[in-house]
Amino acid sequence: MSLKNFSELFIDLDSSNSTNNKIEVLKNYFLSNDPIDNSWAIYLLTGKSNKRFISGRYLKNLFSQIYEYPEWLIDTCYLKVGDSAEVITLLLKNQSTSRKKKLSNISLNELLGKTIPDLSKLNEEEKNFKIKNMWETIPEDNHLIFNKILTGTFRVGVSIGLITKSISKLINIDEEIISHRLMGNFEPSIDSYEFLINKKINLQELNSKPFPFLLANTIEDKIFKNSINDFQFEWKYDGIRMQLIKRSGNVSLWTRGQELVNESFPELVEKMSHIKDDFVLDGELLVWNFKEQIAFDFSLLQKRINRKSPTRSIQIKYPIIFIAYDLLEVNGRDIREINLENRRIELEKYFSKWKTKTENNISDIFKISDLIFPKDWPDALTYKEKSRENNTEGLIIKKKTSIYSYGRKKGIWWKYKVDPMQLDAVLIYAKGGSGRRAGLYTDYSFALWKDQELIKFASAYSGLSNIEIKELDKWIRKNTIEKFGPVRSLKPEMVFEISFEKIQISKRHKSGIAVRFPRITKWRKDKKINDADSLENAYDLMKKIS
Amino acid sequence: MRTKQEYLIRYKDGNLYCELADIWIDPSKPVKKALITHAHFDHFTFGCEEYISTKETAILLKERVGDNIKIKTFEYGEEFKINGINISFHPSGHILGSSQIRFIFAGEKWLISGDFKLQKDQTCKQYEIVKTDYLISECTFGLPIFKWDESNKIANDISKWITNSPEKTSLLFCYSLGKAQRLLNEISQTNFNGNIYSHGSIHKMNNSYRELGIDIKDTIKIENKKKIDELKGSLILLPPSLSKGYYLKNFKNIQTAFASGWMSISALRKRSGYDKGFAISDHADWDGILEVVKKSEAKNVFFHHGDSEALSKYLVEKESINVLFFGK
Repeated sequence: MSLKNFSELFIDLDSSNSTNNKIEVLKNYFLSNDPIDNSWAIYLLTGKSNKRFISGRYLKNLFSQIYEYPEWLIDTCYLKVGDSAEVITLLLKNQSTSRKKKLSNISLNELLGKTIPDLSKLNEEEKNFKIKNMWETIPEDNHLIFNKILTGTFRVGVSIGLITKSISKLINIDEEIISHRLMGNFEPSIDSYEFLINKKINLQELNSKPFPFLLANTIEDKIFKNSINDFQFEWKYDGIRMQLIKRSGNVSLWTRGQELVNESFPELVEKMSHIKDDFVLDGELLVWNFKEQIAFDFSLLQKRINRKSPTRSIQIKYPIIFIAYDLLEVNGRDIREINLENRRIELEKYFSKWKTKTENNISDIFKISDLIFPKDWPDALTYKEKSRENNTEGLIIKKKTSIYSYGRKKGIWWKYKVDPMQLDAVLIYAKGGSGRRAGLYTDYSFALWKDQELIKFASAYSGLSNIEIKELDKWIRKNTIEKFGPVRSLKPEMVFEISFEKIQISKRHKSGIAVRFPRITKWRKDKKINDADSLENAYDLMKKIS
Repeated sequence: MRTKQEYLIRYKDGNLYCELADIWIDPSKPVKKALITHAHFDHFTFGCEEYISTKETAILLKERVGDNIKIKTFEYGEEFKINGINISFHPSGHILGSSQIRFIFAGEKWLISGDFKLQKDQTCKQYEIVKTDYLISECTFGLPIFKWDESNKIANDISKWITNSPEKTSLLFCYSLGKAQRLLNEISQTNFNGNIYSHGSIHKMNNSYRELGIDIKDTIKIENKKKIDELKGSLILLPPSLSKGYYLKNFKNIQTAFASGWMSISALRKRSGYDKGFAISDHADWDGILEVVKKSEAKNVFFHHGDSEALSKYLVEKESINVLFFGK
């Protein structure tokens, strides 16, 4: 019923590494707490709350002010901990003398529905007083969660899948149905919780929700033993995965991240509303080069994503297309249980009907995916290798007899991505990480040769093992040339193989090139810095591709 | 102000050294004469001609490295003289036999804290406040983010951790000397009543503690690692030097935890690779260090074993205490 119970839940979930145990813990929590608090708990645990009410900096300053603590000391502690909410929580332990004897046991609903949102209505003085008062009246074990919610950094190692499983167990209803109910918006309320645990299966409210997305797995070798004819092949586009839904005449666009993005793409919503049938389509949204019939780079799509109500000129400058590759529901009939081969037939049938029967021309904004027909697996490989030519990332392979399941189910869809491009580069800068990488140098910048000079060309922070990170951290500390704030410039000595997805000309960078998704794939201890690649090599790579 | 060479005790080759007595404190390389604060391996090295320690430390050392060393022992508080310097051991509360060492020469007092803690620990003598002019203190946990919970609270958390997963074998990694015995002592006072097993290195230290009159709960020596995943619901104590990776890879149905002060920081907890961390330490937390600095009435303080930058700055700015640096 309270923040206290939720804190205990948080600790229990954090301390257990058994899935079954976590499900039990969650189930018991739901059984013993109010529907409204359960609703808030789900809201927090599924990461639907990430609103920042105050900044970490503000929290640190406030603590410093109240308890007369030097700011430099808090900053030093922060370097060790890497999270403002946690630093303040740990420092509050030293302030136990200022705590009130009588502790409050505030309900989650009151805290999240009222106390915290109301902070924004207060002036600074009142706000600070309120936070101080909370620190002094809630139990010490609750500080971490309180501070994390305040700073919008609450995260817990519970996947939506686990929540789904525990609710499914709680009411004895299939996980898939619960998963569907958890899609889309989730506003914490008694109703939203009762909706989740409703034992009736076909609920009206589901009409407003997208289906749980089916996701592709990385290709496995064993697939090559099967007949090529068992699979459907499509290009893997680098756009935004989306469900395009029209139900009861209303069109909605849901991203895989479960965001409703109608406002960003009004032209698509408008065009699709002219179609007579209702439907749910699964597909990809792209900025499209209509002349060459290929996708533009993802960077152009980025110009549209976060822009609500784009002007007409933006719509023309960055023309979008929705490429549907699956039909999940048509005129209220859920067809996800039908196998892919037959769903594809339905999709093609409806597409040709819509193309001809719809008043407005829809083909300048909507199409269905092209299928590819490799003769055999080596041929599939050839297609994959050619995928850069049409700005795709490789192939998606789907089993023809599969149903539209949900999540990253094995044995249904696979991605067969083109091998990344690689260059060997020299480590020249390092910066301290945050979160679980706090206290270590984990953000690296790499350079390529230009004549006798090393020019920075990419930054990367993923790809090394924990052991390598520690080893490199030690090396960095010993081989620093200069410190600029959190950044250290380093003795050029270490060579790394950097892989990336795309390479293109960029005027913003000194190197003149920009790469997408750079990551470390190998620590080339066998190489000296003179063996590293040059910018010329990078330009060659670019030429080879275009 | 004196130069570094004029201090009674200074740093030489990375170790604390008293030139007047030609004696080293916890040296990391073989020397003629070594004062040993306690029997942890990082405070001790083989090959010294003569060792001097408390009686308990001597027995623990011999148990760990064999009888083949020349070691002279003194009681806590008993003064002895070397080259006109009065030297004495005083309890530091770190582990059984651990001590601070005080030097008095020409009316000037020097105190080496050794590793110490102020928290209650039934397996060793409580830290004794010793007044001094110069204090050389450890500062392993010299930041205010370190504030230890009561050890019985941690023991209850451990007990809960084990009983919450009855289908698993719980592997708790901890230092075999000191931490293990303290944990056993605390855990025996919780609700947990399942079997406790311990690794040979811990088992050996348990026996030494008992011989020295400390009451330590009986544990079963774990002989055959192959059986570990069959010991459902029980607790196994292992030294951290054994790779947790090996256990995680080779045994099913286990959960692992590490008992260390560093586990109070979640970034370190997650990076450690253990499933769970229990923040319990045999070193002083921030408040503990400040208390010792103040109560020792030292006018001059040196720090070693840790990041002392913030602690020093704090003492200078907030408490007006003179913090000195040895240099290395």
